[in-house]
Amino acid sequence: MRTVSVAAAALLAGMMTSVSGGALAQERTVKITGFGAKSGVVRVFGVNSEAAMKAAAEEINKAGGVTLGDDAKAKLSVEFLDDRCNAEEGISVIRRIASSDAFVAVGPTCSNVAESLFGILQKKVGDASDSGLQFPVFADVAAKGGLAAISEWAFRNVPSELEMYKSLFAWLKREHPNLKTIYGGVEKDFAHSNATYGVMKKQAEENGFQLLGTGEWLLNDTNFSTQVREMRRANPEIVAISAHPFTTCGVLREMDRQGVKPKLLIGLTSSSSIETLQGCAKQAEGIIIPTSFAPVTAEAKTAAENVSKQGGSMDLHSAAAYEIMFILKDVIESQKIMAKPDTVQADRNKMRQGLAALKETKGLLGTVGRTNDREAIKPYLYVYAKDGSWQVLHKPSS
Amino acid sequence: MDLLDLIDAAQSVADGLLFGSTYALLGIGFTLIFGVMHKINLSYAAASIGAAYGSLLLLSGFTAAPAVIVFMAAALCGGVIGALVYFIGFKFIPVANPLATLMSTVGLLLLIDEIIVHTTEGVPLAYPALYSDVVVRLGQFMLRGDLMFVFVLGCACMVLFLLLLYRTRLGIATRAVSQQPIASQLCGISILQVNVLTFVVTGMLGGIAGAMSGAAIGMLSPLLAQPLTVKGLIVTVIGGLGSIPGAIIAGLIVGALESLFQFLRGVTERDLYIMMLLFAFLVFRPGGIFAKAPGRD
Repeated sequence: MRTVSVAAAALLAGMMTSVSGGALAQERTVKITGFGAKSGVVRVFGVNSEAAMKAAAEEINKAGGVTLGDDAKAKLSVEFLDDRCNAEEGISVIRRIASSDAFVAVGPTCSNVAESLFGILQKKVGDASDSGLQFPVFADVAAKGGLAAISEWAFRNVPSELEMYKSLFAWLKREHPNLKTIYGGVEKDFAHSNATYGVMKKQAEENGFQLLGTGEWLLNDTNFSTQVREMRRANPEIVAISAHPFTTCGVLREMDRQGVKPKLLIGLTSSSSIETLQGCAKQAEGIIIPTSFAPVTAEAKTAAENVSKQGGSMDLHSAAAYEIMFILKDVIESQKIMAKPDTVQADRNKMRQGLAALKETKGLLGTVGRTNDREAIKPYLYVYAKDGSWQVLHKPSS
Repeated sequence: MDLLDLIDAAQSVADGLLFGSTYALLGIGFTLIFGVMHKINLSYAAASIGAAYGSLLLLSGFTAAPAVIVFMAAALCGGVIGALVYFIGFKFIPVANPLATLMSTVGLLLLIDEIIVHTTEGVPLAYPALYSDVVVRLGQFMLRGDLMFVFVLGCACMVLFLLLLYRTRLGIATRAVSQQPIASQLCGISILQVNVLTFVVTGMLGGIAGAMSGAAIGMLSPLLAQPLTVKGLIVTVIGGLGSIPGAIIAGLIVGALESLFQFLRGVTERDLYIMMLLFAFLVFRPGGIFAKAPGRD
């Protein structure tokens, strides 16, 4: 009897240990750290990225979370740090993240920050002579072309503006063969606007459009009368504006006042946002912008609603952050990441290898290709402003 | 330069002159505070933009409030923010250390800017404009109705302000404190009261300037605070620290020249020439436009 009692007690104790072990496993949490601009005039990008990451984490957690290398289930949590869109702050933030248990970071917002902080990462994996940081960083917003090539630890899920505008101008040539002349406008002191204007100009000329001139202004300019007068005198059929919503609206309003009515307007990817419509919906009517996000699929619509519930809005930038969370989940599972304090560097190596090995990922608008230099080939479409909202004009892939 | 270029140059000057009335109002605010307290309030332009934002917040419950009401609300908010700036950035800072108030106003500039950014997420907001659809055309020449309104409103504010300064007891007290603070205290004038009222009045003026900037562009953005601070300071130096007529004239001149240099030399060189003008004044006329020429060896 005594033997039976001891055996029963031992069995019970074993069962309790197993239950509590299971409960503990269920309680494990993996923190994914994002970073970007959460102060200053580009704060909205950080707010949207954080909301998108949190919305995706919530969705993943609802579906059971992520399976770690020891078969334990873990929930994802998101922490988001502010780099103020400043390169020094960005480097300081990434060093802080790298000094924690984190095995990957998502960010940053600004290209100037990405360029600098990718520079402090180890250039080539396994290069013993390079003391750079061995920490994978997955960029969601920084849009300047080719940044991931700086380091083998750098990855991006950012659309290729070169591909989007190449396709757009080729489409314009096909659809509007009667339009021949174009006039450009660029926010000269903003890296993204300036770089994208170079792309727009090149693609326009390669597709046979005659560039009549370029109006230049600064990010915080308030008076555009001189630039628009020159535009009016050139009398272009197409006007392409590479600027963010504040000055895009300033220029569009001035064009309206001076009676400049081109047959077609083209805008910068970042202006396909709600801010442009809030600022100058009437003047922006008809403007065509290529983008890698629009709520055109059921999944994209749900994602947009979830991000909205988290206090952000879904656009081509925050959609990238949303997708990244699902990519990270897949890599954590496929690479059997342990997410334990004593496996940090091994987890970072596995994460890097997993991300580098990806040939394609799932995106909100369809399959996203991955290049050898760790960039994304994202599906895109053209939207245009109509009655105060963005409507899909054309899907190049269809 | 052909006729069209000449028309464009004249047009640029006219546009700049009209927009310059905003700079003039900001210059008056900077210069008056300096005149009364002999201190620079670097948060003034940020507070002006904050007041314009405040007017939108104040009237957010009313759909499509008339622009006049929005402007009045901006003045009101400007007055409140002005008083707050005085109590936070000046009242309790040791008088003996002028750098302390300078730094406290730099802090306030950043604080106001960041409050705007956090409240609006940095997203530009549409701001109502009066007469934005009106354009007066004289052949190739055109004048924007909204800018003309901004100019007239700016001129009216300046006239009202000068009347306040030279025809009222408050104005006499303000000038007395500015010229002889100890003597004015002996005459029974409350320095605290005059200082607070100066900040409230200049705050109201700044609120109108902020609203005028928003109306001229049709949008408000936190991006406006930094360039308006720089322009306000340039106007104050060119006009002469403490000189109200100087601030008015300098505001108009800076507005016109900025626009002209934009036309002649483009956006990348425009500010360079304005800075050169500032240095020229600092070297050759440090007292500003209406100052007597300094005696030199």
